[in-house]
Amino acid sequence: MDAMTPRQRFMAALHNRAVDRVPVASPTSVATVELMDATGAFFPAVHTDGETMARLAAGGHDILGFDTVAPIFSIAQEAAALGCGMDWGRKDWMPINTTSPFAEPEDVRIPGDYLEKPSIRACLDAIGILRHRYGDRVAVIGKVMGPWTLSYHARGVQEFLMDTVLDPDKARRFLEVLMPASLLFARAQIEAGADAIVIADHCTGDMVRAQNYRDFLLPLHKVMNRELSFPTILHCCGKALDRMEYFAQAGFTSYHFESKNDPRESMAIVNGRMTLMGNINNPSTLLKGSPADVEREARAAIDAGVQVLAPECAVPLITPNRNLQAIVQAAAAFGKKRL
Amino acid sequence: MPGVLDEIKQAVIDGNAGAAKELTNKALAAKVDALEIFQVALIPAMDEVGRRMQAEEYYIPEVLLSARAMRTSSEILKPLIAGNPNMKPAGKVVIGTVRGDLHDIGKNLVAMMLEGASFEISDLGINVTPDQFVAKVNEVKPNLVALSAMLTTTMMGMKETIEALKQAGVRSSVKVMVGGAPVNQRFADEIGADGYAADAATAANLAKSLVA
Ligand code: B12
Repeated sequence: MDAMTPRQRFMAALHNRAVDRVPVASPTSVATVELMDATGAFFPAVHTDGETMARLAAGGHDILGFDTVAPIFSIAQEAAALGCGMDWGRKDWMPINTTSPFAEPEDVRIPGDYLEKPSIRACLDAIGILRHRYGDRVAVIGKVMGPWTLSYHARGVQEFLMDTVLDPDKARRFLEVLMPASLLFARAQIEAGADAIVIADHCTGDMVRAQNYRDFLLPLHKVMNRELSFPTILHCCGKALDRMEYFAQAGFTSYHFESKNDPRESMAIVNGRMTLMGNINNPSTLLKGSPADVEREARAAIDAGVQVLAPECAVPLITPNRNLQAIVQAAAAFGKKRL
Repeated sequence: MPGVLDEIKQAVIDGNAGAAKELTNKALAAKVDALEIFQVALIPAMDEVGRRMQAEEYYIPEVLLSARAMRTSSEILKPLIAGNPNMKPAGKVVIGTVRGDLHDIGKNLVAMMLEGASFEISDLGINVTPDQFVAKVNEVKPNLVALSAMLTTTMMGMKETIEALKQAGVRSSVKVMVGGAPVNQRFADEIGADGYAADAATAANLAKSLVA
């Protein structure tokens, strides 16, 4: 008999409290083609239908054995609701927004029925279904795109990045008009029963300087965390050691980090101000590696003191389930009793 | 008139499109040869941008701005160079991110460095199907087809595109180069591509060697 339920375990670790073993979570998508086949819930239908989305998400606990379930498999749910053109893809593709229709921040309108748009409604329905299904046994993770990523979608990635240099004020106004969309969706997810909200904001070291985060986004993230006053998890993939200090100042409960960042160094920077979750490599380890490779990386994260184990980012759709299950096995074997 | 050429080069490195345009016009008014501006100012400028990118002195916003400044200048120069017998474009390239994939920053940087190396570029954008590649190849008859993918799941789209080029009977008339974070030399060999490069700066050298 485990001493804690998966939800107790995840919530405790999220807040850096004692656990019976290190939990395994899905702050970003763990949808795989194998899970689709097993649950009968397929891309692209899952993105706009709450019941189907919930069925696929349930596989994350029922089949993979993770301590959390997380619906919302794409980063384009909001883009669709804001009026971007969409290609929802097929079984083995992630959705894509095909247009970014807003040249000026003043053009952006958050529709009055934003929460009723199919791509948004589906996520809220799925969270409600999962909450009902698992009661207080399994943690349900919600997810919204933060203002930076919404600006990529609304304005276009390159245009927005150039705005940050040529017209910083305009870039700021984009962030400010879009932040309410993030907050609106986050509050609705909390209402629907989510236990924690991932805020995905791709202000990554692969693209921009740490100062960009500090100057543009940190003030807004502080506001968001204050307004929500609820467990939040920042997701920002890529290299981030140079900006983790700023992440730690923003008031997130936890940061979901990538394998490009050494877990020990990351833990040292964060220094107890928030917890860390991650950072098993996707392309080499989870997709192409063996369960033994997964175990090795999971142990490195556990030994560094990373509070929650997780894949580093949305897993490639053709990732074998056995490698994801190997994270759970490693947590059980090596992640015993913390604190 | 070396002063103005240095200034154009600097304007491109600084990502100042307005200055690049003004200085290019100024140089032309002073009878500097368009081809010389291209070869002595623009190409070395993009080499320097590539270097700064590799050294992580430049992040993506700066690189995008330099690319834009270069384009502003080269658009003025191109019609003037077109008739110059000394200016042969290095070759024509059809480039795009394969079907199912929206990552285009890396692809755009490759396109820009190729343009800097005086290739003529047809950019099909993102989410490009094998059929769209084939249609463009038939239309512009390029020397090179450049495929980008950032997702492990869309990498197979590169293979499908190469197959489609074969089916259409045009595979032997083009060289295919591939790249993107999950792609490596072994994968490139497996799917029958002619070349792989890890970043935009080496992509330009690869392209030159493939058409040589
Ligand atoms: C920025 C980013 C995004 C942006 C994309 C913006 C844009 N318009 O491009 C956004 C936020 C929109 C995004 C979305 C997604 N992303 Co993303 N993203 C990234 C990130 C952080 C950086 C990529 C980047 O632009 N790098 C900077 C450029 C300059 O580098 P580059 O692309 O590698 O290009 C260089 C070389 O590869 C090469 N090159 C590139 N193309 C070519 C072509 C040729 C011919 C040659 C020779 C060379 C070459 O030269 C380039 C210049 O030097 C990476 C993380 C990473 N570690 O790479 C993840 C990453 C690529 N994304 C990932 C994922 C999973 C996604 C999503 C599926 C998430 C989701 N749940 O929906 C979606 C994709 C949806 C879709 N259908 O495509 C994963 C892919 C995993 C995998 N291997 O399958 C990564 C690796 C993150 C991770 N660690 O898991 N993403």
